Amino acid sequence: MNFCLVGLSHKTAPVEVRERLAIADEELSGALRTVAALPGICEVFILSTCNRVEIFTRAESDGGEVGPILTQFLARTHHRDLSEITPYLYQYQQRDAIRHIFRVAASLDSMVLGEPQILGQVKAAYAVAHATGTLGGALEEVLSRSFAVAKRIRTETGIAASAVSISYAAVELAKKIFGSLEGKNVLLIGAGKMSELAAKHLLHSGASSIFVTNRSPERAQELALLLKGRAIRFEQLFDYAGQSDIIISSTGAPHYIIKKEDGRRLLAGRKNRPMFFIDIAVPRNIDPEINKLDNLFLYDIDDLQHVVDANRKERMREAQQGEEMARQEVEKLLRRLKTLDVVPTIIDLQSHLDEIRRQEIARLRSELGDLTPRQEEAIEALTKGMVNKIVHSPINHLKNLAQQSDGLKVVETVRRIFNLKD
Amino acid sequence: MNLLWLRVALALYSLGLLHAVLTVFRRRQRLFRIALGAISLGVVFHLVALVEDGLALGHFPVTSLQEAASLFAFLIACAFLLVYWRYQFHSISVFIFPLVFVLTLTAAMDRSTHYWELPLLRTAWLYLHVSLIILGYTAFFLTFVAGVMYLIQERELKSKKPRAFYYRLPPLDTIDDLAYKSLAVGFPFITLGIITGAFWANAVWGPSWPIDPKISWSFVTWLIYLLLLFTRWTAGWRGRKAAYFAIAGFAATLVTWGTNSGLHSFVSP
Repeated sequence: MNFCLVGLSHKTAPVEVRERLAIADEELSGALRTVAALPGICEVFILSTCNRVEIFTRAESDGGEVGPILTQFLARTHHRDLSEITPYLYQYQQRDAIRHIFRVAASLDSMVLGEPQILGQVKAAYAVAHATGTLGGALEEVLSRSFAVAKRIRTETGIAASAVSISYAAVELAKKIFGSLEGKNVLLIGAGKMSELAAKHLLHSGASSIFVTNRSPERAQELALLLKGRAIRFEQLFDYAGQSDIIISSTGAPHYIIKKEDGRRLLAGRKNRPMFFIDIAVPRNIDPEINKLDNLFLYDIDDLQHVVDANRKERMREAQQGEEMARQEVEKLLRRLKTLDVVPTIIDLQSHLDEIRRQEIARLRSELGDLTPRQEEAIEALTKGMVNKIVHSPINHLKNLAQQSDGLKVVETVRRIFNLKD
Repeated sequence: MNLLWLRVALALYSLGLLHAVLTVFRRRQRLFRIALGAISLGVVFHLVALVEDGLALGHFPVTSLQEAASLFAFLIACAFLLVYWRYQFHSISVFIFPLVFVLTLTAAMDRSTHYWELPLLRTAWLYLHVSLIILGYTAFFLTFVAGVMYLIQERELKSKKPRAFYYRLPPLDTIDDLAYKSLAVGFPFITLGIITGAFWANAVWGPSWPIDPKISWSFVTWLIYLLLLFTRWTAGWRGRKAAYFAIAGFAATLVTWGTNSGLHSFVSP
C-alpha cells in the first residue's frame, strides 16, 4: 500500500500563500478527478480549508515519484512555478501520511488546538471524494478510521475541554462556581460588545434572565431587546445587583462603581449565596479588594486572559496523550490493512483448504487398509484436484475485484466466510 | 474466620486506589469505567463478606476494631458510588480510596481475638450504638472531604491561576451541596448513636456510669456539628467558613475516636 500526502498548513505557509493554493469547494470534484487520472494513482482525497491544503493519495507503486507528481499538480492548477511553492510544502509517505491525517482530523495540528470544526471539514471533504468516486479502497479505510480516532482523542483527552476565548472562559468560570447556570440571573452594567458576547454565552448555557443597565438608557433598551432581557435605570443598579448571581461590568466610568462595602452589603442581603463579578472595563469598574470577600469572585480582563493561557497550556499537555494515541492507532490500522491485502489472503485461503484436505485424509487413512503407492497417489491427486477446482473461482474473483473500489470489503468477506484468522 | 471475600473486595478496591492516583496525573482516563466496575463489584463482595462474618459470629459484626473497620470501609465505598451517581464526578476518589483501602486491608488481615468479650456489655444496644456511630462517621467523613475539596477549589478560583485541581474538581456549588447534605444525614445518625450509647450504659450500669473521656469528647464533637448545622440553616453560613468548621468537626471526631484507640475506657482490656 503506497500512501503519499502532500500539503501545506498554517505551520508551513503564511496566509498569502495558503489563499493562493486553496482549492475552492466548487472546484474540488474536478481537482479530485484530475489527480485520480494521474499515472499510478488509485485513490485521492483532497482537503482544502483556510488553514490547510492536503492532497492524500494511494498509488499502485511508489518509487518516490508520487510526491513530485502531486506537487506539480498543485503548481499547475494554480498557475504557479514549482520553485515558488515547494518551500511551503510538506510530504509524508506511508505511516507518516496516515498519522498526519489522524492528527489533522483530531485537531492536534490545528491553529487552536482541539478546535471542533476541522473534523467536520475532513468529513465534508471525504463525502465529496466519495461522491466523486475517487475513494473505495485502503485510503477510504484510513479516512473513515480517522473519524473514529479523532473522536477517541477528543473524548479521552482534554484537548477540547477548556475554554480558549475570553467570553467562554467567563462562562466556564461561572460554571465552576455555580455548577449549573440554570436559574441564575445576569446583570450587565454597560453595554459593550464583549459583555454582550459573554451574556449570550451565559444565556446559551442556561442562565435564566438578564438585566441591562447603561448610562444611556436607549442603548440599554436596545441590548435588553436583543438579549430578551430587561433594561433598568442606572440609579437602580444596586436594587437589582442583589438578585443577580453574575455581574458583568464594562462601563467607561473613570472610578470604581462597586466598592468593597457594596459587595459586603450585597452578600449579606442574599444570605451569602455566591456572586461572580466580571470586570472587563479599563479602567476597572469594580474595586479589586472585593475579591477578598468570602463567596464572592471577581475576575478582571487580565485574570480572564490568564485563565485562557492556562487552558491553552492544559490543552497542550493533553495533546501529548493525543499524539501517543494517534501513533498507536496508526500501527493498529496498518496491521489491519495488511491482513486485507489480496496476496496473503489467497495464500491463507489455499493453505486453509489444504489443511482441511490433509486432516480428512489422515482421519480416514486407517479405514482404507493397505494401499499401493499408485493408489496413494490417486487419492492425493483426487483430493488436491477437488480443492483446486473449488478455490479456482474465488481466487480469480479476489484478484480482479480487489483492484476495484470496495475491494477491501470483498477481501474481508472472503476472510470471514472461510474463517481465516487475522 | 473466612476472609476470602473480603480479600477479593480488597483486590477490587485496589483498582479504585489506582484510579485515585492516576486522577492526580491525568485528566481523563479510560481506566475509570473499569475502576467503577471494580469498585461496584468490590462493594458486592464486601457485603457478602460482612454477611458471612455476621453468620459466623452469630451477631452483627461490629464488636471488634477490625470488624468495625470493615463496615466503615464498606460504607465509605458505598458513599463513593452514591456521590458518583448523584453528582457525576469521581475526583473525590483521591480522598476516599486511600482510606477505603487501608481500612479494608486492616480488616482483611488475620483476625486477632475479640476485645469485647465481657458478656455484661453484650446487649442489643451495643450493636445499635456502634453501627449508628459508624454511619454518622461515614457521613461526616464526606463532609470533611467536601470541606477540603471546597478549600482547594476556592483557592484555585480566588488565585485566578488555574492548576491541576481546578480542572479535576467539581464546581463549588456542587461541593457545598455535598457538604451540606452529608452533614444533614450524618447529624441524626450521630445523635441517635449517642442516645443509644446512653441507653446502653444505662442498661449496664444503671444511673451511675463510669467516667470516660471519650464521652466528654463526643459531646464536644456533637456540639460543633450542631453549631455548624444551625449556622448553615439560620445565618447562611456556607463556603469557606463552613468548610473550616467541617474540618474542625472531623478533627474532633478523630480525637473522640482516638481516645482509648477506638474503645471506651471501661471496655479496654
